[in-house]
Amino acid sequence: MLFNNRTERYFVWVFFPLALLMPLFLEQNTFYVSKLTTVMIFAIFVMSLDYLVGRCGLITLGHAMFYGLGGYIFVMIAPEYEAVNFWVYTFYICVIAAAVALVIGFLVLRTSGIYMIMITLAFAQMTYYFFSDSLDFGGNDGVFIYVKPDTSLFGLSLFDLENPTHFYYLCLLSLFNTLFFFRLVTRSRFGRVIDSIHENPGRTTALGYNIFVFRLMAYTMASALGAYAGYLFTLQYGFVNPSMLAWTTSGSALVMSILGGIGSIYGAILGVLVYEGLHFSLEHLTEHWLLFMGALIILMVILFKNGIAGYLEKLLERR
Amino acid sequence: MNNNVILESQVILETEGLCKYWGGLKALDDISLKFHDRELHGIVGPNGAGKSTLLNLLCGHYKPTSGRIVHEGAPIDAIKPYAFARRGIGRSFQKTNIYPNATCLENCSVAVQRRMGGSFNFLRSRHRQEVLEEIATEALEKVGLLSRRNEVAAHISYGEQRQLEIAMVLATSPCVLLLDEPMAGMGHEESQLIIELLKQLKQEYCIVLVEHDMDAVFELSDKLTVMVDGQHLTTGTVDRVRDDPRVKEAYLGQGDEVY
Repeated sequence: MLFNNRTERYFVWVFFPLALLMPLFLEQNTFYVSKLTTVMIFAIFVMSLDYLVGRCGLITLGHAMFYGLGGYIFVMIAPEYEAVNFWVYTFYICVIAAAVALVIGFLVLRTSGIYMIMITLAFAQMTYYFFSDSLDFGGNDGVFIYVKPDTSLFGLSLFDLENPTHFYYLCLLSLFNTLFFFRLVTRSRFGRVIDSIHENPGRTTALGYNIFVFRLMAYTMASALGAYAGYLFTLQYGFVNPSMLAWTTSGSALVMSILGGIGSIYGAILGVLVYEGLHFSLEHLTEHWLLFMGALIILMVILFKNGIAGYLEKLLERR
Repeated sequence: MNNNVILESQVILETEGLCKYWGGLKALDDISLKFHDRELHGIVGPNGAGKSTLLNLLCGHYKPTSGRIVHEGAPIDAIKPYAFARRGIGRSFQKTNIYPNATCLENCSVAVQRRMGGSFNFLRSRHRQEVLEEIATEALEKVGLLSRRNEVAAHISYGEQRQLEIAMVLATSPCVLLLDEPMAGMGHEESQLIIELLKQLKQEYCIVLVEHDMDAVFELSDKLTVMVDGQHLTTGTVDRVRDDPRVKEAYLGQGDEVY
């Protein structure tokens, strides 16, 4: 069984069918559909961060760099007034982001702990200021995307990116695939080495593993997925701007990952749902919503030791 | 053995003028030793004699300030730390060094997987390969932990954790075992278990043993090296070293509580 954790299995069985049916309930209301789409996209991003921080022990404050790069790579390589192929560009973006991650990871992963946080942050800020100050990429306003890619595959166009419901399903499928992918990776032999490195790097070196290479692989993988999430975000809203690269994006992703249950992978979905849910409902009640939100998050982190996922696991165990 | 002729078996690991300085402090000064196949080479000395430093150099954890380490004829002091284990130099640590949240089997599986390969297989389940788990189980059986196979390492007793650590080293299929105080903090019965284990193991492997338990070292060692203040004092058979007046003066003569 792939999802061998009972709580996770329940969650997958409840969440994904519900999410599949959701557009039917919200047929009239594209606002909620597109809101949920953004949640899915961000969940992919948070999941990739959760893998890095929770499973690999690589704490980074620069993950938003890849989120933003996903969008910027697209506007860099795609022609402005011509529809490109969605699948081909997905491939391009993931490969280019992976190449960037390989180089940056090579430098960043020489450090660890607090130093690694600082260096990842530095790289992300460099990218942020590069794009926000550059005239070629619209500076602070970012770049608009006039033509969305078409999705034909072997001459067959299955869905339309302009249609919010279609796009919603694309993001839902991407989220499921990401979860599925990380589950495969964590239970694989590669995952065994990553677990070992996380728990005891010194011992793992003494057993003959070159831990740097394994960390670099994990970093590259997670970064490429983070870029994919940014690419989806860019397609949804039709623009890319530097705020995607800001360290606050990394920061809130980290908060969501901790809230959901760090290292649990599926907890990322829970974290984003709860965070965005709170954000959305509090925003309507008061203009000081951030204050209440902060207090609630502090409370939840204190109450749930291993995040919401950890809390659910405990609840189910007691049964 | 009253025989004066010691049959020289093959030298597996050798140090030539090995030095390690920490700033002005000479932790290890000009150590030249030879470690033979299928022999247990004990290393003793008072605290701060440089025993652990020597082991840390032999396993690649530290880089020597000067001098060479030769393994099967090739100098290896310049290679990366992880490459030492790949050459078959396995070590256990003074402070228990395992994966506490994983099962005993998983602890050994990590070790086996290193040489079985597939560490860059991202998709196939880690439990799909029975051969790997078989070899890991064998290693557990060797140290007598078969019954603890599926228990989480943090939940077994301290002595068993020490055994597990040796099992992990064995699972890498080493040719040299560097053991840093495997009996530290153990009760008498647990120590006896390790002694029996080491007696078996030394028929197969070259073992370098650093240990404070003198009874155990005298019982087990084929050769014994005494170190004092980072320097080599003497090396020889247990009887010869025990009768050496310099050794008595430097170490064994200190008090009856030691011996």
